[in-house]
Amino acid sequence: MSATMALVFGIMAVLPLFVGGTAHMMHILIMCLIWAVVASCWDLIMGFAGIFSFGQVAFFVIGAYASAIFSIQLGIHPLAAMVLAGLVTAAAGVLVGLPCMRLKGAYIALVTFAVHMILEPFLKSGMGRALGTGGTRGILTIPPMELFGITFAADNKIAVFYAALALAVICSAIIMLVIRSSWGTAFLALKDSQDFAASLGVSAFKYKLAVFALTSFLTGLVGGFYAHYIGMLSTRLLGIDLFVMLMIMLVLGGIGQFPGAILGAIMTVIGNEMLAPLGAYRPLVLGALVVVLVLLLPDGIMGLLRSLVPHKVAEQVRQG
Amino acid sequence: MLKVSHLTKKFGELVAVNDLSFHVAKGQIYGIAGPNGAGKSTIYNLITGNYPFEGEILFDGESIAGMPPHKIAQMGISRTFQVPETFSSLTVEQSVAVGAHFGDTDLFDPQRVDEIITFLELEADRDRMAGELNLLGNKKVMIGAALGTRPKMLLLDEPMAGSNANEIRALMALIRRINVEMGVTIIIIEHFMKVLTELTDKLLIIESGTRIAEGDPDKVTSDPEVIECYLGQAYAEDN
Ligand SMILES: Nc1ncnc2c1ncn2[C@@H]1O[C@H](COP(=O)(O)OP(=O)(O)OP(=O)(O)O)[C@@H](O)[C@H]1O
Ligand SMILES: [Mg+2]
Repeated sequence: MSATMALVFGIMAVLPLFVGGTAHMMHILIMCLIWAVVASCWDLIMGFAGIFSFGQVAFFVIGAYASAIFSIQLGIHPLAAMVLAGLVTAAAGVLVGLPCMRLKGAYIALVTFAVHMILEPFLKSGMGRALGTGGTRGILTIPPMELFGITFAADNKIAVFYAALALAVICSAIIMLVIRSSWGTAFLALKDSQDFAASLGVSAFKYKLAVFALTSFLTGLVGGFYAHYIGMLSTRLLGIDLFVMLMIMLVLGGIGQFPGAILGAIMTVIGNEMLAPLGAYRPLVLGALVVVLVLLLPDGIMGLLRSLVPHKVAEQVRQG
Repeated sequence: MLKVSHLTKKFGELVAVNDLSFHVAKGQIYGIAGPNGAGKSTIYNLITGNYPFEGEILFDGESIAGMPPHKIAQMGISRTFQVPETFSSLTVEQSVAVGAHFGDTDLFDPQRVDEIITFLELEADRDRMAGELNLLGNKKVMIGAALGTRPKMLLLDEPMAGSNANEIRALMALIRRINVEMGVTIIIIEHFMKVLTELTDKLLIIESGTRIAEGDPDKVTSDPEVIECYLGQAYAEDN
């Protein structure tokens, strides 16, 4: 399982040797890595912990705005701003998670998606503007990250790429460790039968809240990274396109099939670029793709790969 | 060990458990029987912290009121479910390990999982997904996970349901061994009277949440009121 992850990140690491000269290609690769983390976090909370959280894009946007605002308004270093943004997003995650403790399935989807819906009007409101969200206009001049004399900005994509790669490797390793630890077992047990798990001493409250905190922390952190890379933010991120894309990443990779979500993210970002000539029909094709994928590949690419090596399945499942 | 006093549970208008008091001593196998809907499973749900209740439940002298289910499990009360529960994403071994990991307050001991798997004769199935097993297998895994918590008391909810005569015999032997070899106090809800009279030290019959009789199993099953409202005349004539 971690072999798949090492292989994917290994291949990613050498790609700049071939496409490093093309800024657009490098941008696509950077976005692959960013979305890989966001999709993996979604997989951890939904695929493993069984919590139908639809607030993943919202958490990404909260992290992006928070990091931008911290660095602009407080003048702190973008790296510190990113970590703070992660913490703010984790706090938001816990806040959203609390009412979800008493809810099941579809109701959690409603509550978490409500956060997504509320976020855009909030960012555009007077309260949002007071915080420095820039209202409808958004934030236009976010300082890039500077470290060791290197500026990780849009005009230095190779540097940004390797920073994104390091971030993606760290976040994926954390997710993998969690899945393989007793925490991962607790998540699966709670997902399969909460009453049974609780009767065996698993605290549903503790583990569910912890998964909200962890996934929103990592998502917010990566959101911050995105903000300092792109240099500007607007509420367009909260449009339905990105949400659908993220859903495709997860379904394509396989829900609960980590590190399938990483593969799904890479294939979706690249596939979406290849669909660009379709113009206005692209969202239509993407929507249809979700339906087809769910029907044909219920366990995604990762499930397909695993079914090709059936004798290893039990082993892999045991390893989480 | 377990002292239940004036336990009452209402679901809206319905009084599922009505001013019920009983006491289970350490080392006992205690039986509970009664018609469908009498409130038997509800008693378990109250003991394991699933709902608030009126009255008092003391375990080893400590009130469990207001404690969440996982805390009660860690205190030493474990249970099985009437409709067998399984972790379909976990293997048999992992399912047992959930109990050993989270329900036992001591340090996790992988050897304990091995012991339980051997005890339940699940060696051949240990790496299979828990959802793939048959009904008897499911029940054993559920019992195994419960034993993983190193319980002082085990609550079994109709363990014989859906089993054939051979399986019933095997399960009865298993329950006795859990009681004697592992020193676990047991409460068993069951409809099979034979199982209860053979296995239990004391038997409680309830109807509509109210106690009808309690005491020595042979005496209780010949009590006219018990025969009238639960066992029926046919049972009395058969015995
Ligand atoms: N969560 C609940 N909400 C509302 N009513 C409930 C709930 N749980 C149980 N009841 C009701 O309480 C009564 C007792 O149910 P319980 O499951 O305890 O019966 P039982 O004695 O275990 O029956 P059986 O032999 O069929 O298992 C039933 O009328 C049931 O419908
Ligand atoms: Mg019942």
